[in-house]
Amino acid sequence: MNMPENDKENLAMVTCTGPVNIAVIKYFVIDIESGGKRDEDLILPINSSLSVTLHQDQLKTTTTIACSRNLQQDRIWLNGKEEDISNPRLQSCLQEIRRFARKRRNTGDSTSDVSSVSHKVHICSVNNFPTAAGLASSASGYACLVYTLAQLFGVEREQLSAVARQGSGSACRSLYGGFVQWKLGERSDGKDSLAEQVESESHWPELRVLVLVVSAEQKSVGSTFGMHTSVETSQLLKYRADVVVPSRMEEMIRVIRERDFPAFGELTMKDSNQFHAICLDTYPPIFYLNHISHRIISLVHRYNQYYGETRVAYTFDAGPNAVIYTLEDHLPEFVQVVRHFFPPEVNGAEFVKGLSVCSTDLSEELKRNINMEPMPKGIHYIISTKAGPGPCVVKDPNHHLLGADGLPKKSAVSH
Amino acid sequence: MNMPENDKENLAMVTCTGPVNIAVIKYWGKRDEDLILPINSSLSVTLHQDQLKTTTTIACSRNLQQDRIWLNGKEEDISNPRLQSCLQEMYTLAQLFGVEREQLSAVARQGSGSACRSLYGGFVQWKLGERSDGKDSLAEQVESESHWPELRVLVLVVSVSAEQKSVGSTFGMHTSVETSQLLKYRADVVVPSRMEEMIRVIRERDFPAFGELTMKDSNQFHAICLDTYPPIFYLNHISHRIISLVHRYNQYYGETRVSASNTIKYSEI
Repeated sequence: MNMPENDKENLAMVTCTGPVNIAVIKYFVIDIESGGKRDEDLILPINSSLSVTLHQDQLKTTTTIACSRNLQQDRIWLNGKEEDISNPRLQSCLQEIRRFARKRRNTGDSTSDVSSVSHKVHICSVNNFPTAAGLASSASGYACLVYTLAQLFGVEREQLSAVARQGSGSACRSLYGGFVQWKLGERSDGKDSLAEQVESESHWPELRVLVLVVSAEQKSVGSTFGMHTSVETSQLLKYRADVVVPSRMEEMIRVIRERDFPAFGELTMKDSNQFHAICLDTYPPIFYLNHISHRIISLVHRYNQYYGETRVAYTFDAGPNAVIYTLEDHLPEFVQVVRHFFPPEVNGAEFVKGLSVCSTDLSEELKRNINMEPMPKGIHYIISTKAGPGPCVVKDPNHHLLGADGLPKKSAVSH
Repeated sequence: MNMPENDKENLAMVTCTGPVNIAVIKYWGKRDEDLILPINSSLSVTLHQDQLKTTTTIACSRNLQQDRIWLNGKEEDISNPRLQSCLQEMYTLAQLFGVEREQLSAVARQGSGSACRSLYGGFVQWKLGERSDGKDSLAEQVESESHWPELRVLVLVVSVSAEQKSVGSTFGMHTSVETSQLLKYRADVVVPSRMEEMIRVIRERDFPAFGELTMKDSNQFHAICLDTYPPIFYLNHISHRIISLVHRYNQYYGETRVSASNTIKYSEI
């Protein structure tokens, strides 16, 4: 474990980066409190879930935490703006991690002069992707926060699932790289509801990910009713959790281990659709997919049908943006297909960000077979990425987001 | 039964009108494709023919060369299997005896499943049945049209863009049966208790309960369509806004005053 830096003010400081993860077998996440959870305080899922951790070169949260006896109170800055530290989930994370750290002290496990848990912390966090990208930054945010706190206070990663979960359920999956499952667990105290790596990020190097950021103007209606929506109103949800997901988890683990893309792709699409089906079966119903999402789904099915196999797969979370999985061989053509059917702004910013994609031509036959009207500017831009590692410590002190005074450096603002 | 008119050519002719029905507990999925037997019961409201109806005239004579059919001004293919099925059944029944309405369920069903519900007015259920030969899969009236005079229906006809080609119901429900893991659970567990509840709330004229159950079943139908592979989208962004509007309106009053049930855009003959 790293020694946090100590400067003249006895300010310990650690900076870490943490990844985003995209679920292929979905855990129920609703914006409002009571969605699909066995026990609200512990945030336990009603079914297991599995995700792919995305590469931090393209998408990451960076968090710096400073700790010192001289700090008056806990404070937090997110993407350049000071936020309310009394947010219950934040408090929950801080309390949990301090509790773990205290336990280690008391059992004499602590080996070094890590920071005292009774000292206050200043937390500064930024994402290298805009919030408008709708990428559930709470998962990467909380995972990174918890990981950084763990470095500061000397807590092992294996214990962090429970802490990360307090902030955001799926945050625990962002504690590992590659392919990660969050196991349901059986205990009511949630001690066995933990994330664990299924395969590392180097297991399937040909696998590629495209995040299709749907235009902001085209917001879906109905995702906020101003009313308390409980996903527990869905009679189909329990059946999904008890019967469908367990066998899908086994199958998903198997197809990932075997690198069976067609099976992986089909199962991913089916689970995304079932997630949205359950949202529709809620009362009042929740619509996350908008008409652009529908077109993307249509495009993928037609593209696969043209080739007679599953070459590309979509998955959608609680928003209209699509995450596309494919193999690197198909990447150039599919990116071109997206460009053709969702023509971007002519003089706009670059359409494809992240990992570079070779350009290629589309055959007339392919375009004819897909047979869809292009939807100009339907997709704002694409982020091209792949599977990546779990959170890590940033050694270079120039990358600290907080200054020696414990306050955010002027450069610590979001992009 | 009416005697058909006879004119100089010995052409017998009868004209009837028939209503549209809108399901509040939805039928979606068959257990037998040939006999058109459903995987779950369904219940509908028959709409008034003053606003919506089909008018059909049938002429019959030894002088006619072949069966022919015109729909909405255009001659159609008489060899359509469902049409043929209905015609065969009718001839058979007619041979035996004068056909009573109760026997028509089975015949209408073979044309289009939900057609059997349009054989009655008011509130009509189409019972699942247990027999594999479908002889007990019949429509029956739950309450007549005069049972709930305060109930009103608005059909909101939504603009559909040319792009939005919907999946036909026959193919759609077949794909759902084949691919949706949630559908069997709906049919076996959810619908039976919803049918009982729906019959009860209609009998009691309990609008808030009727309204809520209707919306839930409409949503679940569309959920099943989404759980189909490939997924089927019948609701568009306008449908979503209507649903949103209804919920916000009801929320404003703190009670279910308005209910919505979304139907598919096409159904086949």
